[in-house]
Amino acid sequence: MGVDWGSFAEGFSTAIQFENLIFIVIGGLLGTIVGMLPGLGPATAVAVLIPVTFGMEPTSALILLGAIYYGAMYGGSRSSILINTPGDGSAIAATFDGYPMTRKGQAGQALTLATLASLVGGFIAMIGFVFLAQPLAQFALKFGPAEYFFLLLFTLSAVVSLSKGNMLKGFISMFLGLLITTIGIDSQSGVYRFTFGVPHLSEGVDFLVVIIGIYAVGEVLYNILLLKDDSYRIKEDVGNKWITKEQFKRSFWPALRQSPVGFLIGILPGAGGSIASMISYSTEQQLSKKSDEFGKGAPEGLAAPESSNNAAAVGAFIPLLTMGIPGSGTTAVILGALIMLGLQPGPMLFQNQPEVVWTFVNSLFIGNIALVIMNILLIGFLIKILKTPANILYPIILLLAFIGTYTLGYSTIDFFILMIFGVIGLFMKILNIPSAPLILAVIIGNQLEQNFRMASVSYDSVFGMMTASPIAIFFVIITVLSVFLPMLLNRLARIKR
Amino acid sequence: MRFIIPGATILISIVYLFLTYNLPQAHVGDPDAAQKYPLLIGYALLVLSVLYLISELKNEEKVREAFRIFSDKELTIKVIVVLALCLVYTYMFEPLGFLISTIIFLGALLFLINGVKKWLLNIIIALVFSFATWYAFAELLQVSLP
Repeated sequence: MGVDWGSFAEGFSTAIQFENLIFIVIGGLLGTIVGMLPGLGPATAVAVLIPVTFGMEPTSALILLGAIYYGAMYGGSRSSILINTPGDGSAIAATFDGYPMTRKGQAGQALTLATLASLVGGFIAMIGFVFLAQPLAQFALKFGPAEYFFLLLFTLSAVVSLSKGNMLKGFISMFLGLLITTIGIDSQSGVYRFTFGVPHLSEGVDFLVVIIGIYAVGEVLYNILLLKDDSYRIKEDVGNKWITKEQFKRSFWPALRQSPVGFLIGILPGAGGSIASMISYSTEQQLSKKSDEFGKGAPEGLAAPESSNNAAAVGAFIPLLTMGIPGSGTTAVILGALIMLGLQPGPMLFQNQPEVVWTFVNSLFIGNIALVIMNILLIGFLIKILKTPANILYPIILLLAFIGTYTLGYSTIDFFILMIFGVIGLFMKILNIPSAPLILAVIIGNQLEQNFRMASVSYDSVFGMMTASPIAIFFVIITVLSVFLPMLLNRLARIKR
Repeated sequence: MRFIIPGATILISIVYLFLTYNLPQAHVGDPDAAQKYPLLIGYALLVLSVLYLISELKNEEKVREAFRIFSDKELTIKVIVVLALCLVYTYMFEPLGFLISTIIFLGALLFLINGVKKWLLNIIIALVFSFATWYAFAELLQVSLP
């Protein structure tokens, strides 16, 4: 056991092939553009751009998707800093001090600072990934159906209990997702379930259509409802791009020490970038001698959450690639894309296709550097894009959603499914019902059912399943805790008040 | 208003349970094998939806607040028209072919959302973007489009 340096080096040499470098640049740029759109985050960016990878070799496709994801993370912080509108949860903390810096006329410096902090976070997390991924994959090889079932259950419950909105709504969203995955032929008994005689449904509802519906169509519909003024008041002049020595000094250590924090939080299912960046922001605020400057444009207040959320984004790839467990809506979308490309993430991926994993990891690292260069050099260009009226971009995204859907199954029946989930996504957004549990459930629902049924054959009772092994017992306990601990803490907080 | 969502999920779970009980039996192995798991989900969703309904009894203000997003008549109508256009696109996609239907769809969306005043820009974008995506998918990625 240990780090497979041979595959690592091989991955590096594949990742720096000219063709793959081009994919990194294209993906990074596309991701940045979609991620910058106000209200649209990495999940939407990846969902809409999945069809771009069609016909590509899995490794290159994976590189492109990784670059899109990363680009969207960078893009998200652009709109947080410049127009105070985060694309998704993990970019919220960037508005706290990033936007005040813009208002002080330091927009250019804020953008550069966020970019460099992201690089630090990404780099440190990458080191963590190299050392942690392989042992975890080895460990996960020991899991049987019962262990997997409870691990999946824990992932779902963790995402529900950590998602915004109340837990009841989260669980309803999750069960709706699980319900969707039971549509289609039951792979074990051959029984047609809930297909209503529509042949196209016998293979089930394509989870990518659900994802594109909720994240692309739903988000666009929601944003159309909010359209008022199509021009943001951005000044073309962003001031100096290069950060001062003082800004560097103040933010270097915070960025460095918050990276491992973000990385470790990113590994936990359900936590991810939003929580990582919030925790990093508040701990830096407490540690800082100039804590009164936080919220008024303190450079460390921008650097800490930005390095942390980027580190979390890398950390999230550990459970995703080693166990096939996505920890958030965005990584669930990536898992969906991976499955579509014919890759089955899980412990076997490290054994059967180590070159794919390590090429991907190396490409993330190269992508980080490429994005830093692009984001610093192209600040002017990116601001021009941000000034492109949303009125033009939303129709285009909507169209891309339809084209993408068509290319998945070559059937316009999927258009109806797309629209249904677009409307569902719209109402979930309006009523503050978290969508991540539904997305996650749609993607891992089949796995959950298969493991449940295999386990129930081996153990005659649910109790037998729960006590199958120490690992199973552990997952059962943390699942129960993830549901009841937040409730208990809420109660306690209320009593205290 | 506040009962729409819990009402809908209760209805969904009841219909789902009804359908589950009427699933055909499996020919191999346990005849009820295909039903057990859906039953679990159906009942869980039903119980949660009822709890949600009860919790919404206290929440009237919040839901009304959330639905205030529809108070702007013009934008609400726009969203409905967008959905209608999507439906039209679905029906004309195969008969008219990708290129023509996409130009019409994108053009209509742009006129609706970007405004009639910018008609020239809208037409140019609709034409250029439709051709570009058609070329990218059909020629470069070898995806067969109608």
